[in-house]
Amino acid sequence: MDARKDLNFLVVDDFSTMRRIVKNLLHDLGYANVTEADDGNTALPLLKAGSFDFLITDWNMPGMAGLDLLKQVRADERLKKLPVLMLTAEASREQIVAAAQAGVSGYVIKPFTAAVLKEKVEKILAAQPAKAG
Amino acid sequence: MAMSEFARRSASYSQLLGAMSEAIARGDEAAFDAAAWILEGELDSPIRSGVRRVAGELQAALDQFGKSSRLVDLAERDVPDARERLAHVLKLTDEAAHRTLDLVEQSQPLADGLARRSEELLNQANRHCSPEGLVDFLKTTATTANDIRARLDEVLMTQGYQDITGQIIRGVMKLVVELEGALADLIQIGGLRPLAGAASAPNGAILHGPIVPGVQHIGPIAAQTEVDALLSGLGM
Repeated sequence: MDARKDLNFLVVDDFSTMRRIVKNLLHDLGYANVTEADDGNTALPLLKAGSFDFLITDWNMPGMAGLDLLKQVRADERLKKLPVLMLTAEASREQIVAAAQAGVSGYVIKPFTAAVLKEKVEKILAAQPAKAG
Repeated sequence: MAMSEFARRSASYSQLLGAMSEAIARGDEAAFDAAAWILEGELDSPIRSGVRRVAGELQAALDQFGKSSRLVDLAERDVPDARERLAHVLKLTDEAAHRTLDLVEQSQPLADGLARRSEELLNQANRHCSPEGLVDFLKTTATTANDIRARLDEVLMTQGYQDITGQIIRGVMKLVVELEGALADLIQIGGLRPLAGAASAPNGAILHGPIVPGVQHIGPIAAQTEVDALLSGLGM
């Protein structure tokens, strides 16, 4: 598990308090490399330019929403296998199904607990091949 | 009765139209005007006067509406005020949440350091057969420091309220902006001056946002366990 602590996370949420909370939780889990973005429009260039290993995104954001960001990621040859966890207050059955169809790796509804976030992140990472290099 | 009225009108109109047609053929303007004048009189039926009365009442209602200063106040002052107030609430909660997070982040390492140091001293105290009271104190300090750390983590998580309430407030603000636009349109229709800089209705995809008790949602899922069950049902 320690071999994965150098993973690069990108946390996308329009509320800076939520980004800070998620960043803190990831730090507590041992993940120190966390970058923040406030919507899909700022996140996508970072994803395309950087070497992120995990994306945690809100859904409801001004500019590009989380679902559109997810679709863009899945449509990009280099990013299409990136683990994407949706962390959102959007909780209707239709929305969860839509996110699943768009290829989301996990879905956590707000408000959430530290234990739920930890469980989902670790479950998604366990299903991933080890980081190359 | 209706048939005889129809027969009378059709005979009368037919005669007048015939006269007007002949006047046109002759180029006789005076004869045309005379027949047209009679026809207009015939057409001035109870239905026409009824329509005129309703139109008059409608105009009076619109005039009255135009004089309603309350509506203007709402559109020009109260609704924009409400928008500003909500924006201010959003700002205050954001600042308070960040300040709380600052304090939590500053306190976490203090609690961690206290717990770590107590455990180190406890190991030394055990090795050197220190007095009973000192060992108990160090044990309690370590446990308490860990308890404080756990509570600080809870404080951190609780600040997530700012995101939830913020989303709800933004939803209401969007509605207020729409209301402002609708009021401006209504006032313009009512014959009052158009509002300068009135907000226009926002567009874009409608999202449900956070679940609000007492507010209707289409098929909401309240618990993470239900989300997990649904995704598991989809083969995830």
